[in-house]
Amino acid sequence: MTGADDLIRRGANDLGGLPAEPIVISDHELLPWEKRCHALLDVLAENRVVNTEEKRRGIDDLGSELLGKLTYYEKWVLAASNVLMQKGVLTSDEIAQRVEAVQDRLGMAR
Amino acid sequence: MTARFGPREEVTVARRYPPGHLRTPFYCRGRTGVVERVLPASINPEEEGFGMYDRAQVPLYRVRFRQVDLWPSYAGPAHDTVDIEIYEHWLVKAES
Amino acid sequence: MTAHDHPHAAVGEGDELPGYFEILEIALRELLIEKGLVSADALRRQIEILDSRSPALGSRVVARAWVDAAFKARLLADGSAACEELGVTMYDGTKLIVLENTPEVHNLVVCTLCSCYPRPVLGLPPDWYKSRAYRSRAVRWPRSVLAEFGTNLPDDVEVRVHDSTAAMRYLVLPMRPEGTDDLDEDALAGLVTRDAMIGVTRVATPG
Repeated sequence: MTGADDLIRRGANDLGGLPAEPIVISDHELLPWEKRCHALLDVLAENRVVNTEEKRRGIDDLGSELLGKLTYYEKWVLAASNVLMQKGVLTSDEIAQRVEAVQDRLGMAR
Repeated sequence: MTARFGPREEVTVARRYPPGHLRTPFYCRGRTGVVERVLPASINPEEEGFGMYDRAQVPLYRVRFRQVDLWPSYAGPAHDTVDIEIYEHWLVKAES
Repeated sequence: MTAHDHPHAAVGEGDELPGYFEILEIALRELLIEKGLVSADALRRQIEILDSRSPALGSRVVARAWVDAAFKARLLADGSAACEELGVTMYDGTKLIVLENTPEVHNLVVCTLCSCYPRPVLGLPPDWYKSRAYRSRAVRWPRSVLAEFGTNLPDDVEVRVHDSTAAMRYLVLPMRPEGTDDLDEDALAGLVTRDAMIGVTRVATPG
């Protein structure tokens, strides 16, 4: 074992039995974009474009730092982007151009 | 595909740590439990996660483990258990 | 309503602008619609489906099982089919297994690999269910986790944790509390909480 081997023995999102802090019994009403994101991934799965298992794989692949820092639907939308690019459905350039177009439309500085 | 194991049979989870998209929790690898029930066969998530939607379905089981067999330092009573869904290719017959 | 509930309306009103990930969601959705891979109609319908699912559906299922022994037997034999009798469809292709709490066994549901949850009967999961702390600890220290929800179980009760790792989804059928013999099915449904159907609490005797 070099130590690097250990890093792949447990998937980044495979958490069962790890020590952790007490449960914070929290909830929030989903923001509109979070609900839209959820619906988008449901429909992508139904249409066999990106299914639930591919989305989960995309989330695992974000790695533990992002998994620890992003909110739930931030992980979903980032994983979906990556999987859509891996499958050749979208390209980085298309996404970048559309993000800029949306920012312009909303009058945001970029 | 016919299920190789039946209810109440003792099975051991492979102690394997391959790369990939795995749905067999780390904490049960190498542990022994009992088949609680045979579930409907299902696509192997290790293939489905990489976009292969139409491969053969594989047998799936619900396996019951005693907490004390999963965690040697388990603090609760010996009858506490955990049920986990495990795909057949991860299971071997337990050595008695 | 807070400004957060309407981030779009907020644009141009001096309120918070959408963040990066929200912009990314808009960009992906627009591109996918233009490519014909999803339709705006299907997205709207899916949001309606999500909005139509809440713990009230699970509560109805539980209350029916409490008053109708034949229904309860069907529910424990095939959770999905029994829920469909009450008009609750498993829209996401998952199968439901119903876990009966008894004086001897207390069931608790977690997903240590992501956050699998019986969405068709309970709606979307609460934040704590998706949290790192719950997903890490419920499977190894279930009695401590239960205690944090105010549920203290004696040692003679078996705690049975269900790690929801694959194609099944799990709903806990809580024990009917004492002193509810006079209540009808609707009143009973009103006692059943989401947390009791996840298994972190029990249903309390009313009053």
